Amino acid sequence: MRPSRAAYPIRWRVMDILEQVAGKLWPRSFSAGLPYLMLLPALLLVGVLVWGLVEIGDSSLRTLDTSTFLMSENYTLANYQRALSERFFTTVAGRSLMGSLIVTVVTLIFAFPYSYLMVRTQSSALRKFLLVALFLPFFIGQVVRAYGWLIILGNQGMVNEALGLVGVTPIRLLYNYPAVLFGLVQYMLPFAVLMLAPAMTAIPAELESAASSLGANWISSFRHIVLPLSKPGLVGAGLVVFTLSLTDFAIPAILGGGSQDFIANAIYDQFFRTSDQGMGATLSLLLVAVGSILVGLVFMVFGAGTLAMGGDRK
Amino acid sequence: MSNQKFLSAQIKRRTLLKSMAAAGAAAGASTLGLNRAFAQEPEKPAEIIVRAWGGSWVDALKAGVSDSFTKATGIAVRHDLTEDNEIQPKVWAAVAQKRVPPIHINWDTTTNATKSALRGVTEDLSDLPNLKNTTDLSKPVGLDGYPIVNTYGYVYVLAFRPEAFPNGAPKSWNDLLDPKLKGRIALYNDGIGFHFPAQVAGGGKLEDIPANMQPAWDFITKIKAQQPLLGEDPDFTTWFQRGEIDAACTISTNAREAKKNGINIDWVVPEEGAKFDTDGLWIPKGLPENELYWAKQYINHALTKEAQQVWLDGLGLPGVVPGLTPPADLVGDPSYPTTEEDFKHLIRISTKVQVENESQWFAKFKEIMQG
Repeated sequence: MRPSRAAYPIRWRVMDILEQVAGKLWPRSFSAGLPYLMLLPALLLVGVLVWGLVEIGDSSLRTLDTSTFLMSENYTLANYQRALSERFFTTVAGRSLMGSLIVTVVTLIFAFPYSYLMVRTQSSALRKFLLVALFLPFFIGQVVRAYGWLIILGNQGMVNEALGLVGVTPIRLLYNYPAVLFGLVQYMLPFAVLMLAPAMTAIPAELESAASSLGANWISSFRHIVLPLSKPGLVGAGLVVFTLSLTDFAIPAILGGGSQDFIANAIYDQFFRTSDQGMGATLSLLLVAVGSILVGLVFMVFGAGTLAMGGDRK
Repeated sequence: MSNQKFLSAQIKRRTLLKSMAAAGAAAGASTLGLNRAFAQEPEKPAEIIVRAWGGSWVDALKAGVSDSFTKATGIAVRHDLTEDNEIQPKVWAAVAQKRVPPIHINWDTTTNATKSALRGVTEDLSDLPNLKNTTDLSKPVGLDGYPIVNTYGYVYVLAFRPEAFPNGAPKSWNDLLDPKLKGRIALYNDGIGFHFPAQVAGGGKLEDIPANMQPAWDFITKIKAQQPLLGEDPDFTTWFQRGEIDAACTISTNAREAKKNGINIDWVVPEEGAKFDTDGLWIPKGLPENELYWAKQYINHALTKEAQQVWLDGLGLPGVVPGLTPPADLVGDPSYPTTEEDFKHLIRISTKVQVENESQWFAKFKEIMQG
């Protein structure tokens, strides 16, 4: 009698064949190596990045010959000497570091209550509204957002037009350091909220209720419960915001009016405006080094926060 | 040789040797040159890629050169609007790695193009038939042969909104120091176009460039106190349109474009002079033979009187073929120099000096402005 097709469907047979093929390609005895195999793409990616850094390191040790516009054959530390001694580079580096610090602090101050409200609110409508308001800017690129601010804050923009209605003459709101910081804070806020929200979700609401029932006012429970337990989120958000701000290009370029460059703008100029790849490479490596050292220090002092992904959090 | 003398020598050659001699013959001969070339044509590529500046710049190139080239050859022209500074390292890398470069023709500033020529990544264009109909302006200074062909000149004028100058047009770059213009002026973000007039406005001499440019830096330091905006070509038009600035040192084409867009704007060449420079076309090494041939034909076509007339009408700039008619709105305009007298008010520094020192000048300007 012919066996029923339903008894052993064709797709099962296909699966059997695939299993046999998989068994030949990756025998069970290799199963211990599976995690390492899955690591391979990441290792390849990191390898490419390291290779790129080595190439950049090589370029950073060569100077530009303006008679041929080729890089020198011999190695020298001249670019590093210039980067650390010329006022332009130190000014831009100082502005970038200070700006990133200010942006990080201000962004965390704004992001904290936003995240708290989003996590704790009983209103589903409000939570959805906050989530939509958070994600909407992600659909609009950084450059477009910066140009949006040009329209809103320009001399003939909406803000100045509104001020004009009450007799205030147009004031320059753009093309200065505060405008750059403002643009960066607006850009970074969603990143910070997204990093903070999981940490706050992990704080049991019952802890606050218990503190309240024991007589703690809102300030005390915030200070002794919410803030300490949010530390992983604050550290993670702070690191992300700081490093993204430190390496940002578009906001300083668009809202700074050309006179508020960050390090990324200076690097762009060296690579693309003066054709000095050696100097551009030097500034790039210094930026990576400074950023890495600062992040390492934060890791050492505060732990990795939510970036530890459930591992060793302090 | 002083720069003034250098300038005079250039003008004499341009005006006396070329202008009249080649007039008339250029129109027919140039087109014929192109047709002769097509008679021995190698395989045509589907398209050639020309890097160009966007906005009115590429519109003018398309109307004047690209469309008529396509009509004559059937080869489509694609305009790559990658910034000139950004395409440069890509081309350099392609040539160094012996890859086919990403573009066939680079429309570039002469200074940038000279860097590429010094690096040895440019094809020699000496055999273009239409070169014989051009003025000396088409020849790059200080280079052997024609690694670049200059296609027109331009002036970094002082553009201004007349309502901001009720007592009449500004006469000097020093007028930018008027306190009422604080935060209302604009320069290029690397200071290009402003270094040389600043040298004169600061009390220095052009002959001292590049050895002693302290007067320029002193004047730029004073300008810094006026909190200028610093940007690129499109920024100037935008800033004038949005009422952000009252005056700017910019290429006359940008000011003219803003005027075409309905902005009340005018421009002058101040008494200290204004920088005159050139742009050109060049071909990177590494193209297949047939594509190189057609790229050369494109540049050859760009040197015909017909193509130059339409292209440069769009840009409002003087070309390198004698007998071009200035646009009606630019007749007698100092930004469209045609006579020796016009050139006396313009500053032209040798490309070699600019190429060798530009990085330092940009760095110094940035140091002042970012401080």
